[in-house]
Amino acid sequence: MSKSLKSVLFFAVMSLLLLVAVACGNGDSDAAESNEQDQEDAQVEDDATEEDEATAEDAGVVNLYTSRHYDTDRELYDLFTEETGIVVNVIEGSGPELIERMNIEGEATEADVFITADAGNLHVAKMDDLFQPIESEVLFNNIPENLRDADNQWFGLTQRARVFVYAKDRVDPSELSTYEAITGPEWEGRLLARTSENMYNISIMASFIELWGEEAAEEWANGFANNMARDPQGGDTDQARAVVAGEGDVALMNTYYIGRLLNSEDPGDVEVGEAVGVFFPNQETTGTHVNISGAGVTKHSKNVENAIKFLEFLSGEHAQQVFAEGNNEYPANPNVPWSDTVAAWGEFKAQDINLTVLGENQQEAIRIFDRSGWR
Amino acid sequence: MRLVQNAKEHLNIWALLSLAFIFIILIPNLLIGFNLFTEPTENWAHIKEYLLIDYIKNTVVIITFTALFTMIIGTSLVWIIVNYQFPLRNFFRWALILPLAIPAYIGAYTYQGMLNYSGTIQTTLRNTFDIHVTSQKFFNIMNIPGAIFIFTIFLYPYVYVIMKGFLENQSASLFENARLLGGGPFKIFFRAGLPLSRAAITGGVVLVILEVLNDYGVVNYFGIQTFSTAIFRTWYGLRDLDAALKLAGILMFIVIIVLVLERLIRGKKSYSYSSANFRPIVAQPIEGYKKWIAFSYCLLIFGIAFIIPVLQLIYWSIMTYERIWSSEFLTLVYNSVFVASIAASIIVVIALIVGNYTRLHKGLFPKVAARVITLGYSIPGAAIAIAVITLFVAIDGYTAAIAEFFNSNSAIVLRTTLVMLTSAYIIRFLAVGYNAIEAGFEKIGYSYTEASRGLGSSTIKTFFRVDIPMLKGAIFGGFILVFVDILKELPLTLFLQPFNFSTLATQAYRYAHDEMVQEAALASMLIILVSGLCIFYFHKVLDKNK
Repeated sequence: MSKSLKSVLFFAVMSLLLLVAVACGNGDSDAAESNEQDQEDAQVEDDATEEDEATAEDAGVVNLYTSRHYDTDRELYDLFTEETGIVVNVIEGSGPELIERMNIEGEATEADVFITADAGNLHVAKMDDLFQPIESEVLFNNIPENLRDADNQWFGLTQRARVFVYAKDRVDPSELSTYEAITGPEWEGRLLARTSENMYNISIMASFIELWGEEAAEEWANGFANNMARDPQGGDTDQARAVVAGEGDVALMNTYYIGRLLNSEDPGDVEVGEAVGVFFPNQETTGTHVNISGAGVTKHSKNVENAIKFLEFLSGEHAQQVFAEGNNEYPANPNVPWSDTVAAWGEFKAQDINLTVLGENQQEAIRIFDRSGWR
Repeated sequence: MRLVQNAKEHLNIWALLSLAFIFIILIPNLLIGFNLFTEPTENWAHIKEYLLIDYIKNTVVIITFTALFTMIIGTSLVWIIVNYQFPLRNFFRWALILPLAIPAYIGAYTYQGMLNYSGTIQTTLRNTFDIHVTSQKFFNIMNIPGAIFIFTIFLYPYVYVIMKGFLENQSASLFENARLLGGGPFKIFFRAGLPLSRAAITGGVVLVILEVLNDYGVVNYFGIQTFSTAIFRTWYGLRDLDAALKLAGILMFIVIIVLVLERLIRGKKSYSYSSANFRPIVAQPIEGYKKWIAFSYCLLIFGIAFIIPVLQLIYWSIMTYERIWSSEFLTLVYNSVFVASIAASIIVVIALIVGNYTRLHKGLFPKVAARVITLGYSIPGAAIAIAVITLFVAIDGYTAAIAEFFNSNSAIVLRTTLVMLTSAYIIRFLAVGYNAIEAGFEKIGYSYTEASRGLGSSTIKTFFRVDIPMLKGAIFGGFILVFVDILKELPLTLFLQPFNFSTLATQAYRYAHDEMVQEAALASMLIILVSGLCIFYFHKVLDKNK
């Protein structure tokens, strides 16, 4: 047998053993990582004064399932650990995936806090009985009533608006008015959007079902699809690029993508961001569609107190600023100033609906899209 | 008495181990299979009415053309490389595998990033050459032909690797005889090369098809509705797991058809060394313009499938480096390599055990076993994830109960460890390793094994002393394919990761999925670098062992 082959086989056997060892070794703790953390904490404890010791001992962990993944988030979690001694363990994934994971894990779940974008996802988690109601004066003070669940099972953290993005050189913003008007014949072959598979489109459709009823919402989807410049494709950013490239004149997009383009290191992207304008539709009528990212404490959390502390921390002014700016979004806490990028687009009137309906109408929205020409 | 004897003969350690592995693979398959026969839901009627035809049409079009193009590109490259001498041939021999290191969805984002209005190509045209392109049609790849292009350039190495491994171990005499009989180069390729390599080519093409069927990233980004997008839409959007599993069942049905076709194309004939006087094919020098044609062809494919996207990714990495680099990336590299090498090693060991068992035993069970073990590759990653996590919740429940019984509070929660993720990898990728090793077993035939057994060695001794050394090419090949596949793997890693555990692939995906392709470049480059080094290293090792 050749030498290299032997080493591969040896490696195989060793890694099997190692895997078993790792599995067994983890028995007394949550994860290898938190083991290390515990040791670090122990070190800190030794240095700390006696009164601190008590809190450090009780501090423990908060386990987070999140669909956010911005680099600034991590710094925020570290800051929380620094302030409270509570270690933040994180699993990042997509919202629906994490919901399914918690569903399967049931009572055994390790998750304490679930953070996800889109009120639709939050509602699904609530309907699946994954959250518990939280009574916290801090949260009630920091998060306005319209941005949290009626039963206090989830709390909004940031907001984004789904707006019209238009070519500054070809479209006069005075031509734009409402989501409804864009389905008129003068816009034929000029509109751009991503596929109806996307959650943002599903949620905006869900809001229209609430405001106009199913029939009118389906008509709108057909009208929009008929006016499209090309088949739906790509992400939101790709729609802005297509606007600048002249493929279409108006795109349906989330605000933060424009913020990202403007702040990009890529000169080509900045060029795109500067060539387009942001228009908030329905200002005279029902308001612009807004959605949120938000969080709740899981029903089967083993660290409820830490989880509440963590949510309170995230709703605080400093965290809100970091959270919103990390993705060019609007903070949920009204006391927190908007970032310069976001503030430049101006104030706007948002849809006055209970965000819960975005979740309730989600499946109907998908079926409407399937029947319409909007693939 | 005879019956007992008979049973004893068949129930050896090989059979038992094989049975155990097959059982593990079968669980998720059965879960999906049974669901095909449950009462259809209301959503299912909706899907059937508005969507199913499109799903089937798009999926079939994409796999048909991708299979065709990867076959043409893969076989033509191997034929040129194995038979002819031309500039940089030795470099291309292994470099042409490198596109495998680029995850297809990253390739898709990269090409779209390059081709769009603010991308490198159009900005260069505008700013440097003052060419203003009015029609975006030429630059649009976010459609079905675009998806076929992406899949072709990043997946053809499957065909290339497997056929190259096969042809380089063919005896030269076959083709020399064909030449002596007056066959021209094209005639030899079509009359001798292709028929001989039939099994290897179909083996490669099947891997390509299975990869395409399982892809979610590319088709989702391009906005093409296929089975994999439909499964997620139904599961997460319509919240109808039953209907989603039905779609998965249809997908599995397509896969089984593909696998049966593969068997039929392969036929019953097997080609193994006919004599011990094995002499490999020696590449012939070619002259004049012909050698430059060969060179340009290789360069063209390599350029499109590797150099261009990598240059773009490097450019983006440099652009974003300062903001996103942190020492965390070292952890990501470590995590990726760690799980990939563990899972790949275990897969190779299992594939050897089962491969050896199914080869040495006749009858229905070994035959079925060989097919079943490759089924994991045919199930959508998400379905494997559900099955695995359900299984581990149950296991954790039992261990907790046992720990309680013994009054110990050190129950192992396997879900918080890498065991769960590794198990899923094994179920998913066993097919890749197994196919490579099975092909290796087929090639060495029985004569050496029989000789060894005839001289009094046990099966186990023969296995270690005779079979494994002859299989080393196949073992290395299988290991690389699995390793590189796991480095790129997404749905399972995303779904089953333990706390505070990320890999390069999940990191790249998070950025890319959120349309931050420039930020995704650094993690993508690291995946390509690690896989690339791996491919290069194993290539060197293989050559030295020849």
